[in-house]
Amino acid sequence: MRVKLKAGRDKRKFIERIEELSGENVFACYQCGRCSAGCPMASEMDLLPNQIIRLVQMGLEEEVLRSKTLFLCASCFTCESRCPKGIDMARVMEAVRHILDPKGKDAFGPGEISPELAKELPQQVMVSIFRKFAK
Amino acid sequence: MKLHYYPGCTLKQKTTALDISTREAMRRLDIELVEPEGWTCCGAEYPLTEEKIVGLAAPIRTLRQVREEGGDVVVTTCSFCYSVLKRANKAIQDDPLKRKRVNAYLRDDIQIDPLTKERTTGFADYNGEVKVLHLLEYLRDTVGYPRIRERITRDFRGLPVAAYYGCRLLRPQKEMAFDEPDSPHIFEDFLEAVGCAAVDYPFKQECCGSYLSVSLPDAATEASYRVLRSAKMSGAKAITVTCPLCFYNLDHRQEVIKAAYLDFSGLPVLFFSQILAWALGVDKKLLGLGEHTVPADSVFSETPATEVRS
Repeated sequence: MRVKLKAGRDKRKFIERIEELSGENVFACYQCGRCSAGCPMASEMDLLPNQIIRLVQMGLEEEVLRSKTLFLCASCFTCESRCPKGIDMARVMEAVRHILDPKGKDAFGPGEISPELAKELPQQVMVSIFRKFAK
Repeated sequence: MKLHYYPGCTLKQKTTALDISTREAMRRLDIELVEPEGWTCCGAEYPLTEEKIVGLAAPIRTLRQVREEGGDVVVTTCSFCYSVLKRANKAIQDDPLKRKRVNAYLRDDIQIDPLTKERTTGFADYNGEVKVLHLLEYLRDTVGYPRIRERITRDFRGLPVAAYYGCRLLRPQKEMAFDEPDSPHIFEDFLEAVGCAAVDYPFKQECCGSYLSVSLPDAATEASYRVLRSAKMSGAKAITVTCPLCFYNLDHRQEVIKAAYLDFSGLPVLFFSQILAWALGVDKKLLGLGEHTVPADSVFSETPATEVRS
């Protein structure tokens, strides 16, 4: 089996867009895995944070965009505080969410909160989840 | 003395306990909290991509209003508000492009005076003149623990209490610069100052599940359980928070947590301001205990402080 280790020219656009949006250098990552080791949501994820960043390095846009992980990140910045290379992984996650199809379905929209639940929830949780997961 | 105070959306609606107890406690310290005129929601999430500049407009507008009213400091209690205001302020101070773009949005704001109906526009650019502080920082640095100790009228008698920082107060450390991200102690120092014994436990800066409690309740239940169990195993009789969302996850989820994890038997969740208010002699009715799911009465002992601690 041939394994491609480097992104081709056609993939550069995706990588550059992620770097431009996040302001992070994704190639600084050397896959130590500390982000995934500290992530409180890692057990729920299909791709771990370090795998997401590796796929971004390889320009595998489709694989990244269909991952459940994008909507499991709570932006708690534990990964950011532990990264030995100073990458803010939460920003990379946000950049990937940013380039999802703008006409696509909301990952989590206002329709999914029942009126009973809405009565009980603190306002800030609704503001923040729609900011993160709705278009 | 007057001090600018930004309560944020949740404190005016679902979590008035944090607002009321903060005001009452500060009144006992001779500080009147003043809200900036016409403040709005801060947006709850600091925009993490370089292109979402518009997310900075709301927090910066509020900070500019504080400056217009002659304030040079604004305090907040909610961790989300603190994070958004502080990071937005830092972005304006450090990034000339963001400063220019946000000010271009805000320059043409029109403000109508509620009394005279006078219209004001053409605001001067905001360049990060206001300092954003968490109330814990203000209590430590400006009020000072010795002054708080002088005013204490009720004694917690070294009640073991866990301080829970959660995510937003500490991280990202370069921008928040609140305390050391791996071994914070400002919250513990505060608890010790008001007569509690701060419990050290490993999960104090772990995530409670945050907003995932809406989209993935089971994941948030597990994350909150880990925090509560860790605090309880370390001997805490209560856990204290600063954030209404941490409060929701740790307190309102406890029925679900107890049903899912049979080894867990419940732990009262309190706001740091309720601890402070009680120590300073505020009436129990003004602590907002009606908003708690887990009864917290056991925490508040009536023992008067017999001697002034030094």
